[in-house]
Amino acid sequence: MTDVVATNQTILVVGGGISGMTAALEAAECGKDVILIEKKPSLGGRVAQLYKYFPKMCHPTCGMEINLRRIKANQKIRILTMAEVTEITGDSGNYSVNLTISPRYVTENCTSCAACGDAVETEFDDEHNYGLKKRKGAYLPFLMAYPQQYVIDPRLIGTADADKAKSVCKYDAINLEMQEETLTLNVGAIIWATGWKPFDANKIQAYGYDRIPNVITSVELERMMDPTGPTGGKILRPSDGKEAKDIAFIQCAGSRDRNYLKHCSRICCTATLKHTTYVREQYGDEGKSTIYYIDIRAIDRFEDLYHKTKADKTVSFLKSKVANITQDKTTANPILHGVNTEGYQRYTNAHELVVLAIGMEPSVDFKQLGVNLSINEHGFIENDPSNGGMFGAGVATDALDVNRAVQSATASALRAIQVVNQVATAEG
Amino acid sequence: MSEQYRNNFLREVEANVEEGEWVKRCMQCGVCSGSCPLGPHWEHPPQELFMMIRAGKRDEVLKSSSMWMCTSCYNCIARCPRELPITHIMHGLAHYAERLGLAPKNQQTNKFAQRFWNNLSKTGRVNELKLTLSFYFMNGFMAGVKMSLNMQKVGLGMLLSKRLNPFEILGGHGCKDSKGLQAILKKAREIEDAKIAKFQG
Amino acid sequence: MADKKKLGAYICKGCGISERLDIDELAKIAKSDGKVAIAKQHDFLCNSDGVKMIQADIDAGEVSHIVIAACSRRAKTDAFRFDNVAIARTNLREGVIWVRPDTEDAKETTQEMAEDYIRMGCAEVKFMTLPSASGEQGRVDHVLVVGGGFTGLTAALEIAKAGYLATIVEKTGALGGTAAQLYKRTPVRSPFADPQDNGIADLIQQIESNDKITVHLNATVSKTEGAPGRFNADISPDIGTKTFGSIIQASGFTPYDATQLPEFSYGKTPDVVDQLGLEALAKEANGGAIKRPSDGKEVKNVVFVQCAGQRSEKEGHLSYCSGHCCMTSVKQAMYFKDANPTVDAMVIYTELRMPGAAGEDFYRNGQDKGVTFTKGIVSEVVSEAGKVSVKFKDLILNEEVDLESDLVVLATGMVANSGIDSEILLTEEDEKTEEKAEEKTEEKTIIPIVPAESILNLEYRQGPDLPQLVNGFTDSHFICFPYETRRTGIYAAGPVRRPMDMAQATEDATGAALKAIQALENAGIGRAAHPRSGDLSFPIFRKEGCTQCKRCTVECPFGAINEDEKGYPQFNEARCRRCGTCMGACPVRVISFENYSVETVGQAIKSVDMPDEFDEKPRLLVLACENDAYPALDMAGMTRREYSAFVRIIPVRCLGSVNTIWISDALNSGYDGIILMGCQKGDDYQCHFVKGSEMAHYRMSKIGDTLQQLQLETERVQTYEIAITDMERVPKIINDMAATIEKIGMNPFKF
Repeated sequence: MTDVVATNQTILVVGGGISGMTAALEAAECGKDVILIEKKPSLGGRVAQLYKYFPKMCHPTCGMEINLRRIKANQKIRILTMAEVTEITGDSGNYSVNLTISPRYVTENCTSCAACGDAVETEFDDEHNYGLKKRKGAYLPFLMAYPQQYVIDPRLIGTADADKAKSVCKYDAINLEMQEETLTLNVGAIIWATGWKPFDANKIQAYGYDRIPNVITSVELERMMDPTGPTGGKILRPSDGKEAKDIAFIQCAGSRDRNYLKHCSRICCTATLKHTTYVREQYGDEGKSTIYYIDIRAIDRFEDLYHKTKADKTVSFLKSKVANITQDKTTANPILHGVNTEGYQRYTNAHELVVLAIGMEPSVDFKQLGVNLSINEHGFIENDPSNGGMFGAGVATDALDVNRAVQSATASALRAIQVVNQVATAEG
Repeated sequence: MSEQYRNNFLREVEANVEEGEWVKRCMQCGVCSGSCPLGPHWEHPPQELFMMIRAGKRDEVLKSSSMWMCTSCYNCIARCPRELPITHIMHGLAHYAERLGLAPKNQQTNKFAQRFWNNLSKTGRVNELKLTLSFYFMNGFMAGVKMSLNMQKVGLGMLLSKRLNPFEILGGHGCKDSKGLQAILKKAREIEDAKIAKFQG
Repeated sequence: MADKKKLGAYICKGCGISERLDIDELAKIAKSDGKVAIAKQHDFLCNSDGVKMIQADIDAGEVSHIVIAACSRRAKTDAFRFDNVAIARTNLREGVIWVRPDTEDAKETTQEMAEDYIRMGCAEVKFMTLPSASGEQGRVDHVLVVGGGFTGLTAALEIAKAGYLATIVEKTGALGGTAAQLYKRTPVRSPFADPQDNGIADLIQQIESNDKITVHLNATVSKTEGAPGRFNADISPDIGTKTFGSIIQASGFTPYDATQLPEFSYGKTPDVVDQLGLEALAKEANGGAIKRPSDGKEVKNVVFVQCAGQRSEKEGHLSYCSGHCCMTSVKQAMYFKDANPTVDAMVIYTELRMPGAAGEDFYRNGQDKGVTFTKGIVSEVVSEAGKVSVKFKDLILNEEVDLESDLVVLATGMVANSGIDSEILLTEEDEKTEEKAEEKTEEKTIIPIVPAESILNLEYRQGPDLPQLVNGFTDSHFICFPYETRRTGIYAAGPVRRPMDMAQATEDATGAALKAIQALENAGIGRAAHPRSGDLSFPIFRKEGCTQCKRCTVECPFGAINEDEKGYPQFNEARCRRCGTCMGACPVRVISFENYSVETVGQAIKSVDMPDEFDEKPRLLVLACENDAYPALDMAGMTRREYSAFVRIIPVRCLGSVNTIWISDALNSGYDGIILMGCQKGDDYQCHFVKGSEMAHYRMSKIGDTLQQLQLETERVQTYEIAITDMERVPKIINDMAATIEKIGMNPFKF
């Protein structure tokens, strides 16, 4: 790890999701040296947890595969996983960045042969599946994970299972003595592509996510649809494991709300339109989707998807922010209470499953991180000359869809290049 | 006169109704209307009232019994994504309608509220015994007798546990300077009337 | 030529490979059938020791072409990266042992599978050449920016800031474009409260004082030819031909022609304006009261009609949403409120689309300033006797309203200035699909096309402008690759690419600037652009054999190939994306890549040991797109989904590169069934080479006739659209084919 070479003409990209990968690749493909760091064991970020993208209904892993191939083919990018920034000093064109790298307990010798995963018995909540399923203590985070290298859960260290994992590895790839490392890098520019996290649905008390099993979030639905996911690609009710065919989608769950996130998360409406196609994909005309919304924000060509969805007889729209959800004790159906504001109709609607179109929240609290960045009241990075050689990319700058995040990441790569090119000119 | 979809009435509400300046912030999500425990009893739920205010429906709003349904449970305020103090606006609207003489005359909440106010403003303190009796007999003598009989046990219990002083019926006690209070209330009314007058005619 | 090549095979025994397969036998076959000089085994080929072993042979000059028989080509790429040798990866792990049951019964067929893959790897590498960069490189650190509006100016400035030169060609007499017509713009910084200066004067000042930027006003690009690194653009009038490394097209948009909305009285009365009309009134008022055009009286009430002629299926309307208009109307309503709070400003909308942090904050701030919002549908704006009234249905209060108003602002949409739609030209050209062309043209007339004058005047076989996507915009089709372009080295930015506001145009211009710089850097060293970034191979063309059939020039998804006067293809390497569609299209097989050719795949196909008819061991060939189908097959292996041992899989760059000779060769050499696995085609195509999968499907639809002539069942060749997630489906498709063969019998051409 410590052989990482960086100079003040190196660009550091923080975050290995779609934005970070894009920023790193675009800069490297311009011939720049890039270090890409990711706090999780693999690249991919949130998009790796999505089943499909709107509006084309293509699979995020398809674009991931291309990006991974670009990374594999490019020797200008150095990737550090399980790495986090702890401190940044210096100025534009000459930053000193302290990183900590958590132990993976598995070395580059790993062939991902899966022997350790088979041997270990202890299981933990699977983060990749938002805890909807368990994974082994020695694991490959997901099938497309890159680096294609197993990880040993730190909670396994010191147990007999850890020794078992080590003993079955034929390739001397497990090192249980691995320690946290610290590393200081000298870089010229920094791109923050730290992305988002789903808003904590438990905080929306009235929707009962914490107490009504058949209220789930949109990100969980994405996992359910994945054939390798917790339900094997089926939309199943957590209460009884039965298929849910009548599904309510609640917009602005946590967004556009001064109690939670004040901003509009932009993607949720179109994501829900996409979700209705999931329902159709599973059940055809048998499925039923009901969308409770304030405004359907399907801008520019996403309007086509909205138009198509409106024409789908299995989908209905109700202009209403749902007031609260209760549960039918016998059927475990969530019951939605509220008012359709178009013409004032009161409703009490039971559905088999409720999907909260959960808002996007910046995943890093930059103020707490102590980095001198211009952060707005929503927690997003704003471009400001005082940021020096540091730039936001993707959802670290605003609630964005993938296309816009990649656009922003590409722009940030140029901004970083401008800084390191100036350094290069100054140094001759 | 308030014209449709002009902002005269909205401005009138902003000037004269408690927290009225918040009305324009409503984004018509309807969470207030859905959250109200008395919801089904509202002819126009809060979010609709706000839209009606913006649409200049002055008479329909002020003559409505809807805002009199509010029991101050604060569900709507807690859930409003736009921070509107809906409960207060409802009371503000009700109060304003009453001041203008537009409030529905036989509306129970209104009637009680009027009695409460009369009782309170006379001496500066609420005379609970008189208030209770006036409430019982609010809808006529027979109804009052019936209600009193119904509440007999409660009343006796309160009497025994000294929670009710029967001598309050003779007048009871007031605040220290009830004349001063009357002057304050008079002045306040003058100010409010002047404000309202701006929007009359 | 083969004698100069020194072949070596390196077989890994790790990950259970040696427990399941007879490695000695594999090594023997590599030598006997694969004709390798060296065949080595290693317990753990990808560790430093194994890698050292290979490197030592390379360094000693023992090998120039190597076969690594281990895991999938997608795995262990860092370990198995060797410079200066041609490499073939043979997939014994994900492709053999992980998809086969570990049983005695299966042992023989699994071993045969592995042996064939060894033969195939050896055959492939034998016909490979190590790619060397195109001889065509040119390097010009200069970007042409077409359009001097906000997007173009921003792009030029960002390019200059990175140290490159930029030339702006603007067709009008002034810089600034539509943005310069704005009184103010929507805010870019939190708390997103007030309209702010449009910033154009400052931007122009920066452009004019930057010595890396040249500006040509009243100028157009009358001809563009060449390729990344050597674009020659004629700038008219009088400037002459200049050379550029890459191009950004920032030709912006034209406001939708509101006179097409007679129901809203636009043009009937000056008191109905569009958003740009309102900007002009606001500029005139300059912070004071905005006056009514008809009589100059101060506007006391104004109504904003959202989605005027947009989001509508009516003929002549725009079906899409222009995205910025809600923000713009709120900004404009603020002009009134800021000048005089007693003015009534109402926005009538169906969906208020103000997304993100900026959108919601700005909406709230508009409300705080007293702008009112009504969810409603406007049916008509009536102008009579000097009065204007708006008829709408209030959807909340559920009632019809007729509201007199001093001024009505129509939020009409953006129409892209994308030049000439090459797709229509191409379709029209194709005689066979004449009918279809008519249909298409008819369809297109629904979208009001801006008088189509070419923007770039490309001297390209496939038309003078960037291909359009939907709604006339030159957008990228890919969600994850917004700067994917179908004309390498030319990037669209701003509202010509997609409807957008200035905040997004800033990001878009900067992103496009990066791609333009990247394109010229890549061209300078002869490397491919996305998605095969870094690929040095390029199409090599053997002119002698060419019959000038033009298939390659027509089918190239990126318009990379021109035709000379005699009709021979002219390859423009820097324009090429290395998908191989031309190679697949060529009926006489004169197009190839150094490391990927009709031979590398064809020889691999033919190298398998074909059992005779009575062995009851059919052979199935799978040609799988390397980006989606092949990873899906890998993941089938990783999840231990079994499939038939009779299959032999070859990854291809794109299904478009599949030449039908491979199919006929395979059938002739005894394969019983052939499966082609490509990506989704059609409107929502997922093929990263745009048309590759579609072309392959088209070609295979024709192969049915050939099969029938040969009296072979058409079921023997099947083409599928596979998604990368189809790890359950791909084994099933293979097994189904095996079952089909069992049913219809073996290929009679076996010998």
